[in-house]
Amino acid sequence: MATIAPNARDAAARTRRQEIADSWRGFRTAVRLGWQTEANWTDPVLFFIYSVAKPVAAALMLVFMIEVISVGQADPGLRAFVVIGTALWSFVMGGIAGLAWSILEDRERYRMLKYLYVSPNTLLVLLLGRGTARVAIGAFGAVITLGVGVAFLGVPFDPAVIDWPMAVAAMALGLVSVLALGMILASVAMQTRQDAWNYPEAVAGALFLLVGAVFPLLVLPAPAQIIGLLLPLTWWLEGVRQALFPGIASAISGPGSVYGQLAGAGAPSSAETLLALAATTLVASVLALLVFRWAEHSAIEKGLFDLVTGS
Amino acid sequence: MSLFVHRSTESPQHAADWDARRVLIVNLRGIVGRAYPRIIGAKREPSWLLFEILLPFLTTSAFVFVYRALNAPQEFVGFVVLGGAMTAFWLNVMWMMAAQLYWERDQGNLELYFSAPVSMMSVLFGMAIGGLFMSCTRAAVVLIVGSVLYGVVFTVEQWGLLLAVFFLTLAALYGLGMVLASFFLLWGREAWHLTQLLQEPVYFVSGLNFPVARLGFVGALAVATIPLAVGLDAMRQLAFASSAATAGLLSPAAEALILVGMAVLFIGVARLMLGFIERRARHEGKLTMKGT
Repeated sequence: MATIAPNARDAAARTRRQEIADSWRGFRTAVRLGWQTEANWTDPVLFFIYSVAKPVAAALMLVFMIEVISVGQADPGLRAFVVIGTALWSFVMGGIAGLAWSILEDRERYRMLKYLYVSPNTLLVLLLGRGTARVAIGAFGAVITLGVGVAFLGVPFDPAVIDWPMAVAAMALGLVSVLALGMILASVAMQTRQDAWNYPEAVAGALFLLVGAVFPLLVLPAPAQIIGLLLPLTWWLEGVRQALFPGIASAISGPGSVYGQLAGAGAPSSAETLLALAATTLVASVLALLVFRWAEHSAIEKGLFDLVTGS
Repeated sequence: MSLFVHRSTESPQHAADWDARRVLIVNLRGIVGRAYPRIIGAKREPSWLLFEILLPFLTTSAFVFVYRALNAPQEFVGFVVLGGAMTAFWLNVMWMMAAQLYWERDQGNLELYFSAPVSMMSVLFGMAIGGLFMSCTRAAVVLIVGSVLYGVVFTVEQWGLLLAVFFLTLAALYGLGMVLASFFLLWGREAWHLTQLLQEPVYFVSGLNFPVARLGFVGALAVATIPLAVGLDAMRQLAFASSAATAGLLSPAAEALILVGMAVLFIGVARLMLGFIERRARHEGKLTMKGT
């Protein structure tokens, strides 16, 4: 006699190895789908403009603010500081928005979320795949923004002095933390209505204030500096800046900064930066998993996966 | 005998065959009806207070701290606060109006709009009114809290002109939103991405955080084409009347005239475009199909 399985995943009796292979296949498919959803709506030229216009415009706006105040006499180091911060912010926008928008798109527009949920792959793997595709597009914007900064905005760049191991380690940990934050936003998107399209940008904008992306943390009030020091993005930006531009001004330390008072030293070393980045990334990832599991459970209980809203 | 007699007509409005008073009442009801879900939706889900007000305020604050890190004159902090307030309206126009018809089609509402004896402009106007509730709240919070927290002092000498410029900017912005709503519906899936594209680049060329005149030719082009740019430039001059840093591209009165021209042009073009897409939707029957 046939029995009804509690859910599709339990019904699929698989070995551990098969599970990993299936998850990998699901992840790859989700990345491919995410890329096509993002990229095949237009011709490559317009897609290129779309991918780079936002980060380049954001960098130009900040560089222009500096130039207006300094009357064209801005320190190139300051420009480099701002350009790197805005370039790397493409990853944050892609990662945070990517996962949340995947939920909203699949639920509200394509109405596929319920089918994805009952497919044998876990929703988390599929979402991470979609988010990865958006991070890849963010990488495109980041590279072009850095290129524009070096070519046109006087950002000093010397490939020979780059600390490659530090750059690779900081980028890898930073991207994990970006995806962790994206998972938290995806959890929020599961619980909210269609109008949540703006939420990822709002969160990214608020983080922009706290992580030393375009100005040093020491200009913030002490409580805001403490929050900034607890966020992995702060250490990621610091690590990548140190790796790509050794000797560049630190966003974390400085006279009167909270970090300076706590650590009693100047700028954090590469090892300290990586350690802080690893620790904060670990905390953010665990927190993201817990929040995601709660949101998933809550969405099932409330029937939110097939709920279509509007306003 | 049936009350409903079939006859061939151009549109549901013609089919209704109502007198002017009734047409007006029905359109007013349409406006209220379309505004209602946005206002009541905001009440039912208060998360927007965090995501639409507090967090965007922090984004604006980030630019305030950029100027503070640069030891910029205090007026520039005021420019950021003013720009932060006006972005609320730009985002509302882009997300909740320009891209809205496209989403309405995906949700299956668009054919209902086309088959209702109500003007599409009334539907879009209702969206604008509903969206203005959130946008005005956000703009007011950014303006008031930003001014108090960051010590911005406004020196307004021509309140009448400032208010006129503000409302003209809104009229031109929402007119542009209606035009874009028509285009985005025709362009399909590109609408979503174009909405994305029309944020940071527009902020930059509109001189969101600095006087647009500093951008030279690009700034002049923006003032001639983008309501946000010309509106902000005029409001900046009027709100910081005693400051030399404002350096407007044109006088506020001249910019107010540009805004009048933009409002008339955009609303006129929107009327033509909406008529065009309504006709196309009925004649070809494809515009309301999903996935185009």
